[in-house]
Amino acid sequence: MVDELLFFMEVLVGGLLAGTMYSLVALGFVLIFKASATFNFSQGAMVFFSVLAFCGFMQDFNIPFVLAFILAALLMVVVGLCTERFVLRPLMNASEDTVLMATIGLGYVLEGLAQAAWGVEVRRLDLGIGDFPVPWIADNLKLFISALDITAGLVAAIMIIGLFLLFKYTKIGLGLRAVADDAGAASSIGIPLKHIMLLVWSAAGVVALVAGCMWGARAGVQFALVDLALKALPVLIIGGFSSIPGAIIGGLIIGAVEKVLEVYIGPFFGGAIEGWAPYVLAIFFLLYRPEGLFGEKIIRRV
Amino acid sequence: MSNTSANILDIKNIEVRYDNVILALHDVSLKVPKGKVVALLGANGAGKSTTLKAVSTMLASERGKVTNGSIEYDGNTIDKQTPSQMVGLGMVQVLEGRRCFGHLTVEENIISGAYSRKLSKGDINQELEKIYTYFIRLKERRKSQAAFTSGGEQQMIAVARAMMAKPKMLLLDEPTMGLAPQLVAEIFNIVKELNTKEGVSILLAEQNTNVALKNSDYGYIIETGRVMLDGSAQSLLNDDKVKELYLGISKKGRKNFRDVLKEESLTKKSN
Repeated sequence: MVDELLFFMEVLVGGLLAGTMYSLVALGFVLIFKASATFNFSQGAMVFFSVLAFCGFMQDFNIPFVLAFILAALLMVVVGLCTERFVLRPLMNASEDTVLMATIGLGYVLEGLAQAAWGVEVRRLDLGIGDFPVPWIADNLKLFISALDITAGLVAAIMIIGLFLLFKYTKIGLGLRAVADDAGAASSIGIPLKHIMLLVWSAAGVVALVAGCMWGARAGVQFALVDLALKALPVLIIGGFSSIPGAIIGGLIIGAVEKVLEVYIGPFFGGAIEGWAPYVLAIFFLLYRPEGLFGEKIIRRV
Repeated sequence: MSNTSANILDIKNIEVRYDNVILALHDVSLKVPKGKVVALLGANGAGKSTTLKAVSTMLASERGKVTNGSIEYDGNTIDKQTPSQMVGLGMVQVLEGRRCFGHLTVEENIISGAYSRKLSKGDINQELEKIYTYFIRLKERRKSQAAFTSGGEQQMIAVARAMMAKPKMLLLDEPTMGLAPQLVAEIFNIVKELNTKEGVSILLAEQNTNVALKNSDYGYIIETGRVMLDGSAQSLLNDDKVKELYLGISKKGRKNFRDVLKEESLTKKSN
């Protein structure tokens, strides 16, 4: 009985921590969705682009770890700058659908650029954190939990706290929230949309880099990272597209639910339900709570 | 032309098109003297909002363009400026329909108006206190989410927010839309106060002709994108045509707009 409970705890905690990896990817989407009400289809490509550049700087140019990370982060700011200048500004008055299509195109450009610059082979990314159980926890709590998962959890926690403080207490954060509510009114009182767009795209780029590092360390830096965008979709539907805490909680729920279902219900379906169980959950949310758990309800006075 | 410097805003014969095709303004000229309140009156679709947006350069975000004429504001020719640059020059538009940031608190809404100014936390609090002396009602509700405040309060938030940018000139687009008469009076009192105490020049678009003229110095009446009539507020209030068409009062007693139109078409035919 105790063993079973321990096993359940292990599955649950493992799932929750793995979920933070989804949260990290979803976070990038939320940032951009808040400012421009657009689902950024290029987020997956940004993850791939940023982490591949990071690997490239380290492995092809022998730049030390920290410096390479900073360079990659700066590169993502440049990507944000170019996106604002060459994609968003010309489409300033276009409909949200047009911007959505443009992000798909941007995704292809980033994928192509990344592969042209750094090649197509799968790269190994070593963060110095192993993807194996931490001995101390295994000995004392009898739970087998990966060090990488724990790191991802910590990183996600730091990022959410940082972003929360940025949005709640800084001037540009207030500007962003104002733009998220009503871009037209925000511009009428002198909040320059340009700066806000630049901020969110750069921030989303850096978040993509962090997510890419975590996923790259686990699964190798490869083209398949682009499809992470699809994993973030159910997370966003459950958490709410416009909520940062939602992205985190949504990721945790997806992570935990998919692992627990896989272990306890999976065998009845012949296994491998991890792949689609989150989408089933997402469909239930779409039916009964379309704004997600934390999504901003459309407030209407009656 | 003799004393252009006395006017903070001088619009000369502007023509405005949307999407390069739809002609919204044919020929609008108007002046706002420094420190005065000027009313821009007309029915729905007459071109009031378009005129204001041409001045604040908000037109561009709606694919509109000034295709003829010129706009002079405080010594600057308005051409390719962005709305945020115009705010920097001291011109702020309060958009039609209030447009508060619903998820922000009342106070956050007001503070967001100071975005274009480089103020310290202390300065912002000082400015806030000053703003609250005009909008006493908002002080009580400072911590509420703006979306849950009443229509009148939302209009006050919108004006207070604009005032935080320390404007020389305010463009108010239908500030009394959908408000009860008592609130209309309250809003206009505040507007008048801001005008006299803060020296803000005001261009006011309104459908509520009577109240607007009673609170203005000068008025322009536009119809289908043209200025039809202008004059001091007092002279417009006493003008028979204005009384008939916009105030619903005629010598023969009250009548409605349709009767006036019918009469007009009859006289045209007989001519």
